[in-house]
Amino acid sequence: MNAAAIAALRLLGGVILAGLVWEAAVVGFGIRPHLLPRLSEILAAFAVTPGAYWAGLQRTAAETLIGFAAGTAVGIMNGVIFFRAPLLRDMLLPVFIVSQTIPVIAFGALVVMWFGNTLFAKAVIAFYLTFFPVTVNTLLGLNSVDPRQVALLRSFGASPRQILFRLQLPMALPQIFVALRLGASLSLVGAIVGEWFGDNTGIGVLLLQAMYNESVVALWAAILCAALLGTGFYALVAWAERRIVFWGAEQ
Amino acid sequence: MNATAAVRGAVGAVLILALWETLARGLALPAYTLPAVSQILAAVAEHRSVLQAAALVTGFEALTGYVIGALAGIGVATLLILARPLRAGALPLLLAINSVPVVAWSPLVLLWFGMGVASKIVMVALAVGFTVFLSALAGFDRVDRRSVDLMRSFGAGRFGIFWRLRLPAALPLIAAGLRVATVRSLIVAIVTEMLGAYGGLGWIIYQSVTLIDFVQVWAAILVASMLSLAFFGLVGALERRLIFWR
Amino acid sequence: MNRRHILAASLAVPLATALASPFIRPAGAQTLVRASLRLKWLTQAQFAGFYVALQKGYYREAGIDLTINPGGPNLLTENLVASGADTFGLSGGTDSVFAARERGLPIVCAGVMHQQTPFVFVARADGPIRTLADFRGKTITTWFTGANFVLLGMLAQAGLNRGDFTMQPQQVSVQPFVDRQVDVVTATRYNEFFTLMSRVGRENLRSFVPDEHGITFPRDTVIVSEQTARDRPQLVSGFLRATIRGWRDALADNKLGVDSVMSVAPTLNRPHQEFMLVEAGKLMVAGGAAQNGLFWIDHPVIQAAHDFFLRNEVIKAPLDLAAAYNSSFLEALPVADRMA
Repeated sequence: MNAAAIAALRLLGGVILAGLVWEAAVVGFGIRPHLLPRLSEILAAFAVTPGAYWAGLQRTAAETLIGFAAGTAVGIMNGVIFFRAPLLRDMLLPVFIVSQTIPVIAFGALVVMWFGNTLFAKAVIAFYLTFFPVTVNTLLGLNSVDPRQVALLRSFGASPRQILFRLQLPMALPQIFVALRLGASLSLVGAIVGEWFGDNTGIGVLLLQAMYNESVVALWAAILCAALLGTGFYALVAWAERRIVFWGAEQ
Repeated sequence: MNATAAVRGAVGAVLILALWETLARGLALPAYTLPAVSQILAAVAEHRSVLQAAALVTGFEALTGYVIGALAGIGVATLLILARPLRAGALPLLLAINSVPVVAWSPLVLLWFGMGVASKIVMVALAVGFTVFLSALAGFDRVDRRSVDLMRSFGAGRFGIFWRLRLPAALPLIAAGLRVATVRSLIVAIVTEMLGAYGGLGWIIYQSVTLIDFVQVWAAILVASMLSLAFFGLVGALERRLIFWR
Repeated sequence: MNRRHILAASLAVPLATALASPFIRPAGAQTLVRASLRLKWLTQAQFAGFYVALQKGYYREAGIDLTINPGGPNLLTENLVASGADTFGLSGGTDSVFAARERGLPIVCAGVMHQQTPFVFVARADGPIRTLADFRGKTITTWFTGANFVLLGMLAQAGLNRGDFTMQPQQVSVQPFVDRQVDVVTATRYNEFFTLMSRVGRENLRSFVPDEHGITFPRDTVIVSEQTARDRPQLVSGFLRATIRGWRDALADNKLGVDSVMSVAPTLNRPHQEFMLVEAGKLMVAGGAAQNGLFWIDHPVIQAAHDFFLRNEVIKAPLDLAAAYNSSFLEALPVADRMA
């Protein structure tokens, strides 16, 4: 058996063990279902309407991914632009920082008004939360490149473009990935919060419906969906990081 | 930041505010689409006392939750480092809790702790706690194997290694976590208030939307943003004062 | 795969989707007018008729390609309709229409769904509160978006003033009442009342109904923008015709109504939704709707509600009710078509 299969089996074993502990703890300690229902009850809720949860998972995943991808692209672009044009950096970075102190939920109603009830509108919120850390870390990464290496490449006749793509961006990747791991969870938050502003499908919708119907089981079912998505997406980014930054990421 | 950068930053801010004002006034945008900056500032001045009271509530929630979360985060990380067997059991559980986006907990926390300040403090403590915990743990783990072995060979105990080696190595990361957590604490408090509260800036935003007072929404956002910046600045200044480890 | 390919692929695919998504439209909808309806709250049986009409194709028959958008805690229907983000709205009620008009939002009410006040004030049957006068010194939670004024008006008739009792904002959960932390709780007859019944038991609850104390507050109003009302009256009439058809079906066949809603929101609790549809139906056929059909705008009742708000200084100056409540879209339909 190869290492990946063993790791997967161990993970599966851990999840099953955690589930058993959960079930036993609720029954054993007599925890009120108002606080924490039995895991089997939550799984039963999945079994009754699997389609609803699956559709919500897909929808939220799509919003998260689109927002994340756009945030990554724009963030890296911003980072490069700021790196090349310090004037722009000094003028805009403070404004960006202030923009991040605004609770995005306050914008929800506006985003719906501007972009309608589309998947795109949620992706915009996910984007808003993602692009800033990527911008900052790209800039940090680019700034940390050794100027002597740049000078060396230049002396070989490399164009600024070549230097950027062959040296500076690859060297900045470990820093960028730190932001991407953060962005993975932030973009999910953005997608979920975006769904609180009038929509039919999504984990955020399931959360709100469960909350206003005071259904703790349905609430936990939605929370488990969110956890699944959060873990999966984070793992995906971490996997990409190991493949791409093979020479040694932080951590 | 040097003086040039500060001037440029101010110029950038003024340019963007001017663009905003011109857009809102020039296109005669109604307040429910985008109010002009001057309207928002006027609203802040006009509703000063209401906003101030709300900012006090939100600030109290954020600060209390922040202190609890920060202490818990550092405390739990320390505990897990000192008691290795505990770490194997508790870390997966903590990571599982953390894998749920923090906002997804807010409906549950509201049902558990009610609509008052308690639910907001819990949410802030949760968000801040995990931010600080993860950075503290990463910091404690940052020391390399050889230094630990070296100290051990000199007869240092677990506490000695922690105190002299791990803590100093972790401090910059903990400080970074504490700084990031400031802005997060206010945002989480406001998000939770917007789902259900008796007061605070998030509640003002919620009420203003129902009462169709969009300038007031923006005024509350502005105050929230200022509060975040002030908190961030305060913690940053404290950090520079206590920067004994560098 | 080398790392550049992974990078390129992982960025390109979602990005392309993001850029293309606004341009992807379902084909074959040329002759229909695209329109959207914004509800006042999350999908539930309170809105069953709209979903029935949509799923049975009544809107299409009326020439409308309708999208139903749910509401939420931080959305205001009036605002989305005024800004043109949504064509139609099912908004809070007479109270929110007053507020919107007072603040100059260009919206018009084209129909009223609930002819009676949908909320009641609930105390425990075994508790000390037997009459309105017993509210003195008690703690009451209520919604500060209109219900609070109804409560004040009711209690004023019993000779109680603002300072004679404690009024707190009520949010999300009725649990404080269940846990006996408050004496009186506000409930809509179709929603929170079900939760109270299932937690405390119907026989243990005592309700105070505003309409029985002379205060009627019609709620759940159909609104359009002034521009739509002016330029496309047939669209509004067609929407109302299809909506009434849907509601007629939903009220005649409750199972169909609940099924339509639960096909959109499958995780809802069916008994709760069935109760909701029955109770919401009672509010819809009450009062003026009995003679004039569903969604009837009962102008004298609206006027009374307006005067009540004016007296209590909730609205500062009299509103032009003729401009705010327009019955012409309903009157364009034969009475027989409007009856439940």
